[in-house]
Amino acid sequence: MTDAAKPLLALAIGDPAGIGPELAAQLLADPDVRAAADYVVIGDARVLRRGADTAGVVIDLPVITSGDAIPPGQTVLLDLGHLDPDTIAVGVAAKAGGAFALENFRIGLRLAADGKVAGVCFTPFNKAAMRMAHPPYDDEISFVAGVIDVHTPASEFNILEGLWNARVTSHVPISAVAGMITQAAVLRGIVLTYESLRNAGIEHPRIGVAGLNPHAGDGGNFGHEDDGEIAPAVAEAKARGIGADGPYPPDTVFVRATKGQFDAVLTMYHDQGQIAMKLIGFDRGITMLGGFPFPICTPAHGSAYDIAGKGIANLGASKAAVLLAAQMAGRFVGP
Amino acid sequence: MKPLALTMGDPAGIGGELTLLTWLRLHESGPCFVALDDPGRLERLARDMGLAVPVQAITDASTAAEIFPDALPVLPVPLAVPPIPGQPDQANAAAIVASIEQATKLALAGEVSGVVTNPINKAALYQAGFAYPGHTEFLAALTGATGKQIMMLASPMLRVVPVTVHASLRDSIAMLTTEMIVAAARTTATALRRDFGIAAPRLAIAGLNPHAGEQGALGSEETTLVQPAIDILRAEGIDVSGPWPPDTMFTAAARTRYDVAICMYHDQALIPLKTLDMDHGVNVTLGLPIVRTSPDHGTAFDIAGKGVADPTSLIAAIELAAMLVR
Repeated sequence: MTDAAKPLLALAIGDPAGIGPELAAQLLADPDVRAAADYVVIGDARVLRRGADTAGVVIDLPVITSGDAIPPGQTVLLDLGHLDPDTIAVGVAAKAGGAFALENFRIGLRLAADGKVAGVCFTPFNKAAMRMAHPPYDDEISFVAGVIDVHTPASEFNILEGLWNARVTSHVPISAVAGMITQAAVLRGIVLTYESLRNAGIEHPRIGVAGLNPHAGDGGNFGHEDDGEIAPAVAEAKARGIGADGPYPPDTVFVRATKGQFDAVLTMYHDQGQIAMKLIGFDRGITMLGGFPFPICTPAHGSAYDIAGKGIANLGASKAAVLLAAQMAGRFVGP
Repeated sequence: MKPLALTMGDPAGIGGELTLLTWLRLHESGPCFVALDDPGRLERLARDMGLAVPVQAITDASTAAEIFPDALPVLPVPLAVPPIPGQPDQANAAAIVASIEQATKLALAGEVSGVVTNPINKAALYQAGFAYPGHTEFLAALTGATGKQIMMLASPMLRVVPVTVHASLRDSIAMLTTEMIVAAARTTATALRRDFGIAAPRLAIAGLNPHAGEQGALGSEETTLVQPAIDILRAEGIDVSGPWPPDTMFTAAARTRYDVAICMYHDQALIPLKTLDMDHGVNVTLGLPIVRTSPDHGTAFDIAGKGVADPTSLIAAIELAAMLVR
């Protein structure tokens, strides 16, 4: 890839009381990360400098103060001058920290929505801090939809060493799940999964679709959704040429996936996927928000208040997240 | 040492070949077991499958230990018709049931140390008039067990007890009560003390909803059902913790903090168990006056007689039963 073809990504600094600043600094010091894309780093120069000091790296970037005129072909710091790190206690959720992370993210999303950057990455947020700053904050998906005013179906994908997981329902009470498992919702999930993997360069994604009930319904003994809703959605996806299969018994679909049978597993509810992914090694993985006009990637782990400021944060997941965003940015087909 | 009793299961399923393969694996090292089966059919099966397993019919379980290193000891339970792999036959239902009955009687009489059951096909038994929902209820009736029996699944990495089992996700949630959680946890705590030799078992109680409900934002059952159960159990002196967010309670670090996870529905228990260790899961029935384990797979009619069945889970079930009766 020539420099001219390098995508430009927004890199928003996350919660300043956690490992977000030091991870941002580590990312900018990483030659693979720098080779894959140019970045508009969004935050406060003082916070980034503090992160660089913690990480033991030196980051010296041209500074801009507005996203209106981004110089091409280089990595720059968009210094919003909105947070003095001395006002933030390491490892403590604070309203000012939440507001800082939200504002950085919001500006990154606006730059992407305006076509000035090709994707958005962010280092970890702290949900408690974000809710102090913005009480209605629900999750990243709804925040993004609000900021860029795009309300097409979207899903959080968790990606670990090449295995993708998306879910049909997410942050809802489990008593509400079965009523939401309709043929249309499952088909939407399959199509969104298919398109997101294609955007990541997987030409013919193999998608394993989990059942809803024990033993995927056990031939109709345990609920009607597996035969009545999920199976017809899988059949329709197949008819459209998508490599989907299922419904598989929920307790073994990830065993199949880890043996290499699928590129992605579509689960029906939050814990069906999250229990398995966290055992496989989720915290080393990436979260990608799919269904928006540009890729949005972040490490799956949190802001790690217990190790913040010690310079021992592991870069692996953040680096993988940024590299995935760079890879997707070049080929992205939005909704 | 007294042998374990191993039942026949459905003779059209993989039980017979698993019995033979398990003897091949264990006959030198033990644990010793006696099959409650048709000796002629096991001999034929061994011959057909090319397995070098000498079969010896015995009349008294006390001779099993002596024979076990050299031959598979079998207490005869004659079949009505020769079984055909993959084709369950109602004519053999009486023998399938008799094998379970005799094994249980021997355990109650102290002639065997515990019972390990091969898989049965319930549909075939129902047609023959079998009136119990499954093995567990039948064993409870045979042993006169009082109280509630529950299923625990155990692997070397994790023990789980699902409070609701074979029902749709929707029905499992609708039927869940504080009383069910309390009853399952009590039975589990007693069994871990008595059979597993854990003096003060630590029980981790799962939440039901994502993030354990997130203070009510994602569901309220943690507050209305699970926490009251925890309060009752704690008042009884049982070491319980929770309600835990279901997706983080099974990680390696979290597992060091409990001996068993009490789970609210089937897949909440089975997903972590199988993702961590697909092959070594064993079913243990808690709340019976006898030790009973079984492999965590079914009759597998589709592969019966083809020489591809894997005895790992049955071997694990026998080894766990032997550990529990010690």
